[in-house]
Amino acid sequence: MPDGIPGTKDEFVVQMKKITKVYPNGVAANQGVDFNLRRGEIHALMGENGAGKSTLMKMLFGLEQPTSGEIIVNGETLNISSPSVAIAHGIGMVHQHFMLVPSLSVAENMVLGMVPTKSGTFIDKNKAIEITKEYAEKFNLHVEPEAKVMDIPVGMKQKVEILKALVRGAKILIMDEPTAVLTTQETSELFVELKNLKNQGYTIVFISHKLNEIMEITDRLTIMRNGRSMGVYYTKDVTKEEISRLMVGRDVVLTVQKDKAVPKQTILKVRDLEYVNEWGKKMLDKLSFDVRAGEILGIAGVEGNGQKELVDMLFNFNIPNSGTVTVNGTSILGMPQQQIRNLGVSLVPEDRMIYGIAASASIEENVISDRSNEKRFNNGPLFNMKAIHEEADRLIKEYAVLCKSRKQHVGMLSGGNIQKVVVAREFSNDPVLIIADQPTRGIDVGATEFIRKKLVELSRSGIAVLLVSADLNEVMELSDSLIVMHNGQIAAYFDDTANLTDEIMGEYMLGLKHQSKEEVRRVCHD
Amino acid sequence: MTKKRQIKFTLIRTLVAISIALLVAALLIFISSGGSTFAEKLNATKEALKQMLIGPLFRMSEKKGTSFEAKRFTEILAAMIPTTFTGLSVCIMFAANQFNMGAEGGIMLGAFVSAMAAIYLPLPAGLHPVVAVLLGGLAVGIVMLIPAVLKAKLNVSEMVCSLMLNYIIMYVIKFLMNTYLADKSKGQIMSFPFRETSVISPIVDNKIFSGSKLTWGFVIAMIAVVLCGLFMYRSRWGYAIRMIGINQDFSKYSGMNVAGTIILSQVVGGFLAGAGGGIEMLGRYNTFSWSALPGYGWTGITIAILAGNNPYMVPLAAFFMAYLSKGCDLMATYAKVPAQLISIVQGVIFLFFAAEQFLSGYKQKLVVQSAQEEIARQNAAKAQEG
Amino acid sequence: MANLLKMLATPEFFWSIIRISAPIIFATLAAIVVEKAGFANIGLEGLMMFAALSGSLVSYYTKSWFWGLIAALLTGVLMSLLMGFFAFKLKTDIILVGIAINMMGSGGTLFLCKVITNLTEGKPMASTTGLITKSLCIPDINIPLISSIPFLGKVISGHNLLTYFAFLFCLLTSIMLYKTPLGLNIRAVGENPNAASSVGVSVLNIKYVAIAFSGLMCGFGGAFMSMAYAQGWSLDMVAGRGFIALAAQAMGGGECLGGMLSALVFGFAQALGIKFSAIGLDSNLASPIPYAITIIGLVIFALIRNNKVKKQHSAAALKN
Repeated sequence: MPDGIPGTKDEFVVQMKKITKVYPNGVAANQGVDFNLRRGEIHALMGENGAGKSTLMKMLFGLEQPTSGEIIVNGETLNISSPSVAIAHGIGMVHQHFMLVPSLSVAENMVLGMVPTKSGTFIDKNKAIEITKEYAEKFNLHVEPEAKVMDIPVGMKQKVEILKALVRGAKILIMDEPTAVLTTQETSELFVELKNLKNQGYTIVFISHKLNEIMEITDRLTIMRNGRSMGVYYTKDVTKEEISRLMVGRDVVLTVQKDKAVPKQTILKVRDLEYVNEWGKKMLDKLSFDVRAGEILGIAGVEGNGQKELVDMLFNFNIPNSGTVTVNGTSILGMPQQQIRNLGVSLVPEDRMIYGIAASASIEENVISDRSNEKRFNNGPLFNMKAIHEEADRLIKEYAVLCKSRKQHVGMLSGGNIQKVVVAREFSNDPVLIIADQPTRGIDVGATEFIRKKLVELSRSGIAVLLVSADLNEVMELSDSLIVMHNGQIAAYFDDTANLTDEIMGEYMLGLKHQSKEEVRRVCHD
Repeated sequence: MTKKRQIKFTLIRTLVAISIALLVAALLIFISSGGSTFAEKLNATKEALKQMLIGPLFRMSEKKGTSFEAKRFTEILAAMIPTTFTGLSVCIMFAANQFNMGAEGGIMLGAFVSAMAAIYLPLPAGLHPVVAVLLGGLAVGIVMLIPAVLKAKLNVSEMVCSLMLNYIIMYVIKFLMNTYLADKSKGQIMSFPFRETSVISPIVDNKIFSGSKLTWGFVIAMIAVVLCGLFMYRSRWGYAIRMIGINQDFSKYSGMNVAGTIILSQVVGGFLAGAGGGIEMLGRYNTFSWSALPGYGWTGITIAILAGNNPYMVPLAAFFMAYLSKGCDLMATYAKVPAQLISIVQGVIFLFFAAEQFLSGYKQKLVVQSAQEEIARQNAAKAQEG
Repeated sequence: MANLLKMLATPEFFWSIIRISAPIIFATLAAIVVEKAGFANIGLEGLMMFAALSGSLVSYYTKSWFWGLIAALLTGVLMSLLMGFFAFKLKTDIILVGIAINMMGSGGTLFLCKVITNLTEGKPMASTTGLITKSLCIPDINIPLISSIPFLGKVISGHNLLTYFAFLFCLLTSIMLYKTPLGLNIRAVGENPNAASSVGVSVLNIKYVAIAFSGLMCGFGGAFMSMAYAQGWSLDMVAGRGFIALAAQAMGGGECLGGMLSALVFGFAQALGIKFSAIGLDSNLASPIPYAITIIGLVIFALIRNNKVKKQHSAAALKN
């Protein structure tokens, strides 16, 4: 079939050719990616977290510039240096985190930056409402023009974002995981609207990793993995299983040597945890599981399926609506962090720069943050500096932190070494339970291997480890047993990871399959 | 960036900031100086600047030439006593990211409470000033609980709250003085004289030290510097204060008591300001007659900014400010330039010190230089291995 | 006590509340607009001091209150732009910039006053009170018809031109914030700068406009202090009104009407203090009342705010 010939009905409106993007820190997010869009299609851009799909779209919208490659929009080669260039060429983006001003009305948000005025001075409110209504009707996107954005539901906020792009003349809409924040009801509404737009000749890029949605709504799909394109397909020609195989998979399998786990008593017991977030979306749905001493329980899953919320509950950064969490029989919900730590719980936080470190403090000051009150580091009112120096030097050595001295500011270290500082602290205070949330995200191979080995070592010494990771390689290699989270529920539990394949994992992660209640319940070792 | 480069940058930045301030000062002096011709004005400016920069240590006279003035030097040291305390106070509060402006009211309240203790508490010499100063410090520490607790529990702006407290403290003290405590036999509003036992005496009892009021308070201030340094860098509480100032989320996650530490920093800050007020009062005066806020709190803020919230640097910054202030006074006396020039000089230095991007281009250059050297070294090492 | 009440129930008393509130209202409007743009200007006190000085001096030298007023406004705007330069360009913490301006506003104005008027000889204190005559002050306005209304007429009429301006500006600022594209941009920048810049609104420009507006208001406030409230400038004459305004902004919920009402509460407290001294009580007992009310007001405001947040949370939980 001849493809994308100008003048035909499947002419390309966007062609991105051999796009490579290398960030200043050396990370190659895109490598020679080809991507194209036909007029009037809904095109899925799929891939795991970190596959490079957001980077690709940021370049199309002018938020990032490619290191090399060519972007052709409507036959014209463009240098999209900023979002305004993109907007001028009819490209609009609906961000996952809405770019809306909460206290302004829907209509005001619509016209921000291009406000209609009466006699050049005053906002023509009626005109703004009129414009909003006109576009809302034209595209059948129902919004309340006069309501304040903070008072409207998430689904409507998204419609406002879509309308904002349309009112600025967008013919190509990039939608970044639009359903991530929506309820089922809102999602089906959105699909009706998107099909509507498509019928009116609009082109839509739909970034997602939800297979069912993609099968339902898209015409073609591009799959990305590790910064490369895995090919373009007609949605009707591929099966979910094929997509899952293309999308989920490991290029390089790093293996970690480990003995078989001998799990002992239950340390962490989570029962019926439920949490509804502030927008009314159920993030945790009757979640129950146990973590036993001496084992690594992995939590796999596409991000945004409740993992973050779960970890927040375990360290009192948030409070669930119902359910219980105990560590060695003591309830820890709502307990101050200090007491949780006193029970022997350690956390390697997902965002190391926000929670993990104080960037402008020294390595030494960072490794003692959880133990500065302990007797061994204090002589009466003063610190026992000798003991603290020794502790810092010992940890720097043991965890091979590459630095000039213990006095160096943590913020000056590389990502891998920063994470080693965090890990050194969290692993070294005689924990009974380690919660490791994305412990090796964005760090170099050396540090990654080191941290993974440490985790195995610690678990074999009798510590319970809960490993939350979106990195399939990591979670499958390290875990002794494994659960897959999907939509705030446990979609699957595997008590042995030895015979697990990428395909099986992909099917559960993307919601194609769901184990029975009985199978899932095995993760509770009562 | 290497440590040496870091120090080099800090030094150059300091010098440039001070130079700019002095340049502004020179310009203002030039405009304001007497004389009708350009040359005359220039000459007057030169004279004024000389007084300001050299005057604090040397007497300049046409007949005898330039000679060292011990009295002026001791006066500068004496002037450092209250501002060292307010500087320390602000350091500890700002280190925790608490923009509490209460040092100003704090020093007045501390002075007042200490003065009352000096008048009305019959205590033996030696113990008397100690008790009086401690009471002054405690009173302010307790008052600072108001902004501290409101901030920690209700997230009420500690800045606005402490500013309001400054005024309340001033008026309440004035009211108490006017109504109950003033010695009605005097022409102006002042308290009864302090008891002899309460006096903080000069370090050396000679004309120079007594005249300049260089009392044991100076020694206590220096001890306070060391204690605050130990508190901030060698104790778990100071450590918690600094970590909260750097990253509050990190501190919470690490299991520190964030609310308690926020309160602690302001109470300790309050205590220091109050004790400083007491020491100043009992060392310099023999009755209480302050009718307005003394301004030491604001100077303390400048000192803390110059010292980078590091207690050990406070004496240096306090000396600098006292020197500058003395210079401006002398300039007013001998060169007829109003002494309040110091406010402008102080403000300019303050602004450039606090400006993060000031000389950032130069800093960037140093960082790049360091990075390049690092890479070169690594390459050399690799080449050797290979 | 009854005596006091009788004194308070007079038109003169209400008249004085309005007069005393005027400069606080100006400063409160300054605080409101920058807060809407997403930052705090705590240098209002210093800005008003500089404006007060330049206003009175220019009025004296040009023999015209009008040029004095213009000079005060210009001073306010230029100094606030300088603040903006340090804060936005050199990335100085805006709070520290405010502190610096306040520092300079205290001693620095005295320095300038002494230098410019050459009043240094033998006087530790200087002021321009001796220079400014009634005719160099901003005039009072009698409103023909209203002034004849019993009681109310005496409360409303006969105020200084700038007092009317203060109330007028409450309205104008509110209109600016809610009815003009500029106001929309200011509010957008304050709440979600990313949203604003994503549709081509320059966040930096809007911040400069907001701080310049606060300077303009401080210009009015300063001019009122030295050319209406008092005849001439004197040291520390603003006396914390810039700080009180910060509290009035918070207590008024960040809105013009609320801010104005809060400013009037402070005005009332101050007027009360003046009356106290008039009947022989110590004014020092009454003077701290506005400051104490500020703290209490902030606490009440915080309690209401915290409650609201709690309710929203439980409402979200209840939905399901």
